[in-house]
Amino acid sequence: MEYTLNVSNLKEQFYTRRGIYKALNGVDILLRKGEILGIAGESGCGKTTLGLTIIGLLPRNAVVTDGEILLDGKDLIATLREFASKEANNPNLRHSENIMKKLNKQLINVRGSRISMVFQDPMTSLNPVLRIGYQIAETLMVHQPEVLAKRRLARSKVKDDDLREALKLLENGADEQSIKAFAETRQLEGIEEQLLNIWRRNDLGIARKEKMILSLRSERLGGFDMAVLQRVVSQGRIDGWMRIPGLNRMSKAVLIKEGNTKAVELLSSLEIPNPEEVVKMYPHELSGGMRQRIIIAIALANNPELVIMDEPTSALDVTVQAQILDLLKHLKQRFNTSFILISHDLSVLAEVCDRIGIMYAGRIVEVATVDAIFNKPLHPYTTMLISAVPTIKGGEIQGIGGAVPDMRFPPSGCMFHPRCPYVMDKCRENNPQMKYVEDEHLVACYLYEGQKGEQN
Amino acid sequence: MNLWAYTIRRLLLLIPTLLGLTLIVFILSHVSGNNVILAEYLSPKLTGAARAIATQALIARFHLNQPIYVQYFYWLNAILHGNWGYTNTAIYSGPVTTAIALFLPNTLMLSVVAAILIWIIGVRFGVYSAVNRDSVSDHALRVGSFTLYAMPIYLIGVALIIVLGVYLKVLPISGVVSPTMVSGLSWYVNGISYPTHIIIIDAMLHGAWGVALNAAIHLLLPAITLALAIVAGLIRILRSSMLEVLDQDYIRLARSKGLSERIVYNLHARKNALLPVITLFGLTVAGLLGGAVVVETIFNYPGIGYWTTQALLDSDVGGIMAATLLFGLILVVANLLVDLIYAFVDPRIRY
Ligand SMILES: Nc1ncnc2c1ncn2[C@@H]1O[C@H](COP(=O)(O)OP(=O)(O)OP(=O)(O)O)[C@@H](O)[C@H]1O
Ligand SMILES: [Mg+2]
Repeated sequence: MEYTLNVSNLKEQFYTRRGIYKALNGVDILLRKGEILGIAGESGCGKTTLGLTIIGLLPRNAVVTDGEILLDGKDLIATLREFASKEANNPNLRHSENIMKKLNKQLINVRGSRISMVFQDPMTSLNPVLRIGYQIAETLMVHQPEVLAKRRLARSKVKDDDLREALKLLENGADEQSIKAFAETRQLEGIEEQLLNIWRRNDLGIARKEKMILSLRSERLGGFDMAVLQRVVSQGRIDGWMRIPGLNRMSKAVLIKEGNTKAVELLSSLEIPNPEEVVKMYPHELSGGMRQRIIIAIALANNPELVIMDEPTSALDVTVQAQILDLLKHLKQRFNTSFILISHDLSVLAEVCDRIGIMYAGRIVEVATVDAIFNKPLHPYTTMLISAVPTIKGGEIQGIGGAVPDMRFPPSGCMFHPRCPYVMDKCRENNPQMKYVEDEHLVACYLYEGQKGEQN
Repeated sequence: MNLWAYTIRRLLLLIPTLLGLTLIVFILSHVSGNNVILAEYLSPKLTGAARAIATQALIARFHLNQPIYVQYFYWLNAILHGNWGYTNTAIYSGPVTTAIALFLPNTLMLSVVAAILIWIIGVRFGVYSAVNRDSVSDHALRVGSFTLYAMPIYLIGVALIIVLGVYLKVLPISGVVSPTMVSGLSWYVNGISYPTHIIIIDAMLHGAWGVALNAAIHLLLPAITLALAIVAGLIRILRSSMLEVLDQDYIRLARSKGLSERIVYNLHARKNALLPVITLFGLTVAGLLGGAVVVETIFNYPGIGYWTTQALLDSDVGGIMAATLLFGLILVVANLLVDLIYAFVDPRIRY
């Protein structure tokens, strides 16, 4: 089995004036390629903290004391652990901030290109003074300038005959592979995705699409822009004389412009109406649901291996929430991306996830398929969570007794023991490990000790 | 576009504001009665019957026998027709409008140079301080700007004069140019340069690069003094506004896109952090004008502030009224500009 992400024994603390909050207490996650893993748990159990840690965006009072986060086998947070081993007892905020800056530098090529994150509140997550198109184009330009350059060069080279031929291919139902082959033989790499993206648009009629494809041939490029694009294609990045102040801005202008064109295609593939208009708008001109789609577009722009979604629908009203969930299901089929979907709402997770992990007090205490979680929940906490989900049938909703523990002074042993109806003596002393109870079912609870026994 | 409608509305709103301004200026200068005006225009040499005749003539000319509100409208009418009255001070006697034409350009030059210094220093250090918060340099900057903020402008000026002018002797401390440089020049007569009255520009127009350089050096100390007095506020405000912005969700999203720290700070954060600073531009202009009065007096720099001080010292009502009106006008226009700029740079604001 191939894993996109492997988080093991992740421990993290927040240093505050009122004490040390132990936010994560040994999180384990194995995320498979192309799956959607849901993470559920009460408010304050550390879901957001987990997501932010994976992408390395921590506040300066956070210290990762233990654990690994492996993306395709490469550890992302060695820097943080190293800092913790030096200053675990009394971390200096100033040093911590420098570590965060160092981490920002290290992860520049991971964030946005291999791991993306969608945050909870779409109303505040887009930059209010930058246009939508720019905010999407920017992430394309930073991570794949050569793709943008090829697209633009192809449009300046393509001939009307080529376009007519391509159109014929598309009309005859040519697949992605053959369009790609066509572009390669004509030395027009970069045109294929433009052809396909127009062809796949659902918001336009066939006549309009044909017209758009035939007008792909664009005015010739100026000498400077041409030089920029060719160098970007040959170097794969923006470098050399393109970094000289002044030239830098001019070089980026042509790439950003192409990024805007690609942004339109991206938005139309996410079924955003009028993408040509939307890219020219500022965030405040869009509704919350629209903004969240834009943020999802930004997250998906570079086809990352992993997208972390932290309560992507919690701030939206129910109908918009349903639309976004539909979009997610649709994305799951189209992209070969793995998702971590965080929510406190199990019914949201049930709708789109492959597996669900239940989190309590900074630990994942149970992981299983959606089916198993709902029909055969094992951990007493999971049972309680599920009985708290309102159903259409009605039935009595049971609240969860007790309160989330104060994470400055977490309970000994299993952290759920003060609220657990089946508490045993050893639960107070030892913390149970995650164990496989069935093939696809992991749980950390002494009730199932010795049922299958094999460790995670 | 909405912005145009908004602009026109704001321009129309300017009318009542300006009427209010003129009313206040008029009342302030007339509370002390007619004698001040008579004193201004009556030569002390006149005595007896000649004085009585001259007094009658003045009363007729300024409508002093009419009720005060009627006088206001006569005065307003004159102002609107470009007749701003007369000034009679040690440094200049004649129509106020000519005085303004002579002195205002120098003040503009000083203010523009100071404003550029303020902008460059303020933005750079404000952002630096926030980005490197709690570092040694941040603490140093904060102590420094706080000290400057607390110091009255004349103290800054005098301190600079003592250190740079008297002790180190690197910068001239008075005037706009060394007198020896300009003696006998055709375009520089009686301390006034032609045609723009700004000596640096006039010198360059006449190809006198040595004079231009000399004048530029003379401008340094007043401009630095003015800049230092005002820049402290900008640094402090920008630092806190930048820190607030850096905590926003959209900065986290920008980082999650894999942007370099430089772009996160200089584009995503700074663009937002500067918005509240723009609203302070009006205050900055007020600071520059107020500062100019003091700075020009300390450095014997012949600008509008220098002239205003003279008018105050010489109890020159015509000059005082005109200067007050002019300063008020500049402030009103600056505030209008602030609102327009703000509407222009912040896409969320549409009226
Ligand atoms: N910067 C911080 N400083 C101190 N404590 C923090 C910080 N960020 C989070 N915490 C604490 O860490 C714990 C986990 O917070 P987190 O936001 O990850 O919870 P969550 O599961 O996402 O909750 P919610 O469902 O409310 O979003 C909470 O107790 C919170 O108070
Ligand atoms: Mg959260």
